[in-house]
Amino acid sequence: MNRRLPARWKSLQRVNCRCVFRVAAATLVVLAGVWSAAGRGSGDQDHATVNDFESRVARYLELRKKEAGSSPRPTNSPEKIVDSQQDLATKIKALRPDAKQGDIFTPEIADYFRHQISATLAGHDGHKIRASLRHAEPVHALPLQVNQVYPKGIPLQSPPATLLLNLPNLPKELEYRIVGHNLVLHDIAPNIVVDFVVNAIPSKKE
Amino acid sequence: MRLRVWFLILAFLLPPHLRAQAATDVQLPLEAKSVRFAVIGDSGTGEHAQYEVAQRMELYRERVNFEFVIMLGDNIYGGHQPQDFRKKFEMPYHALLDAGVKFYATLGNHDNPDERLYKPFNMGGQRYYTFNKGDVEFFVLDSNYMDPAQLSWIEQSLQKSTAKWTIAYFHHPLYSNGRTHGPDLDLRTRLTPLFRQYGVNAVFSGHEHVYERVQPENSIYYFILGNSGKLMTHDFQSSEGMEKGFDTDQGFMLVEIAGDKLYFQTISRSGHTIDSGSVEHQSHPDSVSKVP
Repeated sequence: MNRRLPARWKSLQRVNCRCVFRVAAATLVVLAGVWSAAGRGSGDQDHATVNDFESRVARYLELRKKEAGSSPRPTNSPEKIVDSQQDLATKIKALRPDAKQGDIFTPEIADYFRHQISATLAGHDGHKIRASLRHAEPVHALPLQVNQVYPKGIPLQSPPATLLLNLPNLPKELEYRIVGHNLVLHDIAPNIVVDFVVNAIPSKKE
Repeated sequence: MRLRVWFLILAFLLPPHLRAQAATDVQLPLEAKSVRFAVIGDSGTGEHAQYEVAQRMELYRERVNFEFVIMLGDNIYGGHQPQDFRKKFEMPYHALLDAGVKFYATLGNHDNPDERLYKPFNMGGQRYYTFNKGDVEFFVLDSNYMDPAQLSWIEQSLQKSTAKWTIAYFHHPLYSNGRTHGPDLDLRTRLTPLFRQYGVNAVFSGHEHVYERVQPENSIYYFILGNSGKLMTHDFQSSEGMEKGFDTDQGFMLVEIAGDKLYFQTISRSGHTIDSGSVEHQSHPDSVSKVP
C-alpha cells in the first residue's frame, strides 16, 4: 500500500501537471484573443470616430465654400480684408443659425480628443508640451459660443506641435485653438468658432 | 549756450544724408553686392516708442541702404480694423515704405491670420513661405501653428534649397533667458533636428520683448528681437547661454551678409549701438547635402 502510493501520486501529479498546462495554455490563448480583439475593436472604433469627425468637418467646409465663399485674395486694402472677413462670418452664421456645441465634436468624438490629448500629455514629451502651453499667453475667461467671432484683441493660443501630431489633421482653412482648458475648432477666414470640446486639456494633477 | 543753439540750427540746415551721417554710427562693412536688411519684432503697438524706432531706422537706411525689413511677428497688436493697419504699420514706417523698402512678415500670437492677405506684408496669402535675396534664402515660419503639414513643408523646402545661407525666422524663440515667456521647448524639439540636418545658419525670433543673442547651439546662431514696439524691462532671469542681452529700451537690428560673413548691429531707440559683430558661415557636421 505504502509502496503503491508514490506511483499513484506520480501518475496523479503527471495528470495534474498536464491539466494545469492545458488550462494555462487555453487561458493564455483566450486572453490573447480577447486582448487582441479588444485592441482591434478599439482601433477600429478610433478609426470610425476619426472618420466621422473628418466627414463632419468636410461637410461644414463644403457648405461654407459653396454658399459663403472662400478666403479673399491678397490686397493692399485693409478695408477689403476686414469687410470680406465680416461678410464671410455673417453668411456662415446665416447658413448655420441652429449650430450648437457638439455638432462636430459629438460626445464620442469629444471623448476621443480628450483621450488623445491626455495620452500625449502623459507621454515622453508631456512636460515640454505643458511648458510650451505655459509660456504662450494662455487665454482664460473667454466664454465660448458656436458661431461667435473670435475676439481680435485676444492673443491666440494653439496646440503645440507635438499635440498637433496626435490630433486628426484639418484642412488648411481650419485650425485648432486652445481657450483655457477647451479645444476650439476655428475657421480662419471668417474668424469664427465652429465648435469646441469642453475640458479637453487636463490640468496637471489629473 | 549760444554756441549750442547755433550748432543745432546748423545741424537742422544740413542736407538729409549729412544729417543721417551725423546721427548714425554704422558698424557694418557696407560691401558691394551684399544683402542688407533690418529686423523688427513685436512692433505693432502704434505707440510713440514704435514711431521713434521707425524714425531711427529711416536715419540708418539713408546710410546703410537696406533693401527690406523682416518682421518677427506681433505686427499689429489689439484691434485689426483698417485704422489699426495704418496707425501700427503704415504711418510709423511710411518713410521706409515710400523709399521702396519691402517688409516680409511672419505671424505672432497677437496677429490676426488674415494679415497674410495684406500685400505690404508680402506673405502671398500664406502662413509660411520662403523668399530669396542674393545668396540667402529666408524661411518664414508660422510658429503659432506648427502642424504636420508645415513640418513636412519645412523639411522639403530646406532639402530643396540651394542657397548658400539659409535663415529661418518665426515668432516664438527656441532659446531664451526671458522671464515672461522663456523658450518654446516643444517647438525646439521639432525644429532643431531639421535645422541641424539641413544646415540652417541663423534663426531670428521675437515674442520676448527684449534683445538677446544666444550662444550658438549646434553651430546655429539664434537672435531674439522682440522690442521694436513693446518692451519688457529687466526681463532676464539668467544669463545662461547668453552672449548679449538688452532689456532697457526698444530697438531694431541691421544685418549685412557678404560672402562668408554675416554682420549684425543692434541699435536702441535712442541711437546707441548695443551689440555688433560678425559670424562666419558655418559648416554643419550633421547636415545632409542639399539637392543641387
